[in-house]
Amino acid sequence: MTLTHITITVNDLAETLDVPQNMTLLTMLREKLSLTGTKNGCTAGECGACTVLLNGEPVNSCMVLAAECDGADITTVEGLAREGKLSRVQEAIIKSGGVQCGFCTPGMLISASALLKRDPHPTEDEIRKAIVGNLCRCTGYVRIVDAIKEAAK
Amino acid sequence: MANMRSKEQTSSTIGASLPRNDVYEKVTGTATFTDDLQFGGKLLYARVKRSPYPHALVKKVDVTKAKALPGVKAVIVGADFPNKIGLYLKDKTILATDRVRFIGEPVAAVAAVSNEIAMKALELIDIEYEELEAIFDPEYGASPEAPLIHPDLGNYSWPNFIFPKPGTNIANHFKIQKGDIEAAWPKCTHIVEKTFRIPHIQHVPIETHVAIAQQDEKGKITLWASSQSPFAQRALIADALGISPTDIRVIAPFVGGGFGSKAGVTMEAIPVALATKCKGWPVKLILTREEEFFTNFVRQGLVIHVKVGCDKDGKLLALKNLMYWDGGGSTEYGVNVTRAGGYSSSGPYDIPNIRTDSICVYTNHPIGGAYRGFGMSELHTGLDQAMDELAEKAGLDKPEFLKLNGVKEGESLDTGMKMHAHGLNQCIDNVSKSLDWNGPRTPSSPCKLRGKGIAIAWKAPAMPPNAGSSAWVELAEDGHITIGLGGQEIGQGTFTVMAQMAAAALGVPYEHVRVAGPVDTQYSPYEWQTVASRLTWSMGNAIRAAAADARRQILDVVAEAWKENPEDLDIINGIVVSYKTENETSLKNIAVYGMPRENDQGWIGGPIIGRGNFMPTYVTGLDPETGQGTRSVVHYTVGCEGLDIEIDKNTGQITVLKAAAAFDVGHAINPTLVKSQIEGGFVQGLSSAMFEEIKLKQGVMTNPSFVDYRIATAPDVAFPLETPYVEVPQDDGPWGARGIGEHPMVPTIAALGNAIYDATKVRLPGPPFSAEKIYLAMLDAGMID
Amino acid sequence: MINPHPELPELEYVKPASLVEASRFLKEHDSEARPFAGGTDCFVRMRDGVMKLKYLVDVKGLNGTQDLSFDPKKGLTIGAAVTMNKVADNADVTSHYPLLSQAAGSVASYQLRNRATVIGNICNASPAGDTIGACIAYEGVLNVHGESGMHQVPLSNFFLGPGKTVLKTGDIVVSITLPLPKEGSFGVYKKLGRNIIGDLSIIGVAVLGYPCQESPSGYQFRIVLASVASVPFEAFKAEAVLAKTKITNDVIAEAALAAMESVKPIDDVRGSARYRKYMARNLTRETISEVWAKIGKHG
Repeated sequence: MTLTHITITVNDLAETLDVPQNMTLLTMLREKLSLTGTKNGCTAGECGACTVLLNGEPVNSCMVLAAECDGADITTVEGLAREGKLSRVQEAIIKSGGVQCGFCTPGMLISASALLKRDPHPTEDEIRKAIVGNLCRCTGYVRIVDAIKEAAK
Repeated sequence: MANMRSKEQTSSTIGASLPRNDVYEKVTGTATFTDDLQFGGKLLYARVKRSPYPHALVKKVDVTKAKALPGVKAVIVGADFPNKIGLYLKDKTILATDRVRFIGEPVAAVAAVSNEIAMKALELIDIEYEELEAIFDPEYGASPEAPLIHPDLGNYSWPNFIFPKPGTNIANHFKIQKGDIEAAWPKCTHIVEKTFRIPHIQHVPIETHVAIAQQDEKGKITLWASSQSPFAQRALIADALGISPTDIRVIAPFVGGGFGSKAGVTMEAIPVALATKCKGWPVKLILTREEEFFTNFVRQGLVIHVKVGCDKDGKLLALKNLMYWDGGGSTEYGVNVTRAGGYSSSGPYDIPNIRTDSICVYTNHPIGGAYRGFGMSELHTGLDQAMDELAEKAGLDKPEFLKLNGVKEGESLDTGMKMHAHGLNQCIDNVSKSLDWNGPRTPSSPCKLRGKGIAIAWKAPAMPPNAGSSAWVELAEDGHITIGLGGQEIGQGTFTVMAQMAAAALGVPYEHVRVAGPVDTQYSPYEWQTVASRLTWSMGNAIRAAAADARRQILDVVAEAWKENPEDLDIINGIVVSYKTENETSLKNIAVYGMPRENDQGWIGGPIIGRGNFMPTYVTGLDPETGQGTRSVVHYTVGCEGLDIEIDKNTGQITVLKAAAAFDVGHAINPTLVKSQIEGGFVQGLSSAMFEEIKLKQGVMTNPSFVDYRIATAPDVAFPLETPYVEVPQDDGPWGARGIGEHPMVPTIAALGNAIYDATKVRLPGPPFSAEKIYLAMLDAGMID
Repeated sequence: MINPHPELPELEYVKPASLVEASRFLKEHDSEARPFAGGTDCFVRMRDGVMKLKYLVDVKGLNGTQDLSFDPKKGLTIGAAVTMNKVADNADVTSHYPLLSQAAGSVASYQLRNRATVIGNICNASPAGDTIGACIAYEGVLNVHGESGMHQVPLSNFFLGPGKTVLKTGDIVVSITLPLPKEGSFGVYKKLGRNIIGDLSIIGVAVLGYPCQESPSGYQFRIVLASVASVPFEAFKAEAVLAKTKITNDVIAEAALAAMESVKPIDDVRGSARYRKYMARNLTRETISEVWAKIGKHG
């Protein structure tokens, strides 16, 4: 199969890769760049475990071809902390107890970070709507929503 | 004095909401889950060929073309691994051999250098089936007319507490006969008789099943798996392969949600089997979400016929409980769900006359396995809703009825066991208060109906009578300790709670405790399984004992060195102190090198390593006909849930206004973690009540994806959820603690069903309580038009 | 049984430089090739094996597909690559085409709306498509590039059945143009799913109303329902009720009943035909009432 040559920035680092054309952005991140923080929960764009920022906007990376990402700027969960300092949402979710198994957490943090960037003071309804595409089975969302509220303050 | 103050600081790790010790990794994306493990270019990808028929004979399996495809390293069929495998009733093989019993059952498997080639190889496998009549209903399956799904049942092996009926499709029949039920009915002033149907659902862990296996040239196997049961997997797979358990090493990283789906052995055996055919190559099998929904473990469906009667004052006199569990094509694990459903079939009620028949039936449906609650949610869905109607008939307010009939300490349970101390009444009061039970039930608008519902529940850890835990505690040169355990961190917070317990029992700060993870059966101490809400209690006891053992060793050495009495010494915040002489030394100073004798006359002590174990010794057998015995279970966790809801008359949609869940946890070692479990379990319960159903048509799951298998999302649970838990200590629990993992999911369906009934006078025959069902039921009842 | 691919099956990703090149490629490769923008529908179907394709043709770089512009004389143009979020959040869309803004914002999740497109929703031609009703109500016209160049297709003629449209091999929908809405118009989209939001519709009701002198009632309504027929369903009979007499609550109820009687829903995994019929009545009534509450006072 043909490979596509792409140049992409991931967590502020420029990468040049040759990717199979059926490879998703998710698989590219996990297998070509060993950035395994982003998770696969369904390969269908439903669960949000694979959420990353693509040119600043949260997307399900299992629904994006790596080949479409030439010139793109990607942020994954590994890029949220800056020089070892956790982001506001990361700190808040630790404090609120909004992490249990941790599998939905990376995607959840990306969605939450993106929300607070576009709307620094969301209502609870807006928070819940922003993470409707991030399924969690452990927490019941209670302390995740608390964390996002806290980080918004 | 300083010492006394420090002592308070240390013991406050018990009952403190300390931050999880795995959370930093999880929020930075550095926590390793099984699919994150890197195996380099040698990794092989496994795919499974699955039965398209619910019930058929396998006449021929031809893998020649598949084996010949370039890039294929191994192809296996059922006949390659003929030994039976299973936790309780050994009724299945790693791959189907002569017969398939559910759609999706593995029949052959391929390991290849890419998923693409593996998928192509599957298409090249030729299988000839001869379809047989299939069974899709457990009552039919239990009847004499039904064809046999396991004609060979009599030749299987099972433990002495399971009672299959060879020559039928009945894999287990648990009975209770207490008192005299036939004499009791005439004495009942009020009787309610109802049937409920609870559909199959799936655990939906956000991480699907994944396992990687590799066999070395000497034949030793390593299995990396997202697993709740590393030791059980080792034992069961070894048994099926005819090798020694220590020839399989199971390494179990963080688990992205289990809920029972990753207990026992399911798909993990397949990559192991493949690996034995291509020595040296690691073989990875990861289930797609679609496969996760129906090919591995589901929660069995239940048909429950319940009849309850009480006297004129509302005091319960009689319960007849006939349960048909839709066990699926294999019931190796599910038979125990039937048993647990049976011995707990009274719910937390005091009922003098009981007849229970809890029957596990083979059907041609997906495999019913361990699912959070282990039969209790299904049972209480039927039982508590029947009780709800009985309370209404008797003219009693439900909380009043519950407190009147709730089992009290010292009373004889359905199995004859005496109930221990517990806080059920307090839980009922807490929930009633949270929901302002006696307050107004005014709808917020003319197009809404308002209702409140409450339900109680209980569960005991369902396990063999001799399920054990073990642990070690090791002191390192920096004075910090490492704790060895075999239980798995599946999100419940066990690594954190064990660290808190070890810290408290030994006398070091929580931050100085490391957990020896990931669990690795080569080094980690034995743990039966991470199921049954048993770790806080059982593994906690083992950890506590191990830490106490290490502490004793330390104090003995220091006492000898200081020529003091160990009774006068303590360890506080990692410092050994003497209350008598006020001598002090940090654990750092003695950790591995011991302490010197006077005048350079040698050394005493050495590396400190403490060990502990715990196994309940008092669980007894139960009579096969009456279900009576001295002690059926280790203990019960009891609790109560309630909801305040509105129903939209135009659509049937439910809006939850407020909810409350109260359980008796004995002692909350980490209150935030306890509350988190209750919150998460409640929402999972609510999700099963409102949305979830494996829609089976002729054995086919018609909704095997998130598109049409809906679960609760954040906007669905935008209501205040209060969790006023109760603490009545568990007599043999560490610091009085008892388990809470499963229980919050148990009474939720019944509580919601009761609330819907209160609002609409509609009682649906089973969950999910969808808007459509509620609307059409109101329409047909003439409540709306 | 279904055996979905764990990832995506082998495919070739094609990014043509021009519309002419794209149409030619699609024509040449016929059933083996398909244009895509967000990919959120076709990737899933390719994994399931329902859609067997060799080539996916990315339209996102083609002329006109990124266009999202409002001209106070001509109306709104939405290019094929414009995402649901961009449409839902656009100031011109929210002020002039509120029905479309609501409909686009009701789809799935924020992540999915950053990839899914309105044109994709239309071309996918599912009767459940959330934005289709709004585009029909606003009298959208598709700008299609085919073998013989550009041509227009009014949305009202576009749908033939579930997943079936009038598009021919080689056709690429470049954009949709929604003419200026009528003066004083207002619209509401109501959607009923299994979850409170974010689900596919069990039923969706798009209602657009505006003052209309030619109408005996003084008003004209466009009512389009999702998930009640094999194509997005315009409830002409209900519209007629609201056109012929002075509008009161009883007339609205009559219109809702007409909607209920004219829809032809089926039983499917999401809901039954019976429930959909009643919901067609109840939600149409509610939605018309909400629109009427806003535009009625200008009457």
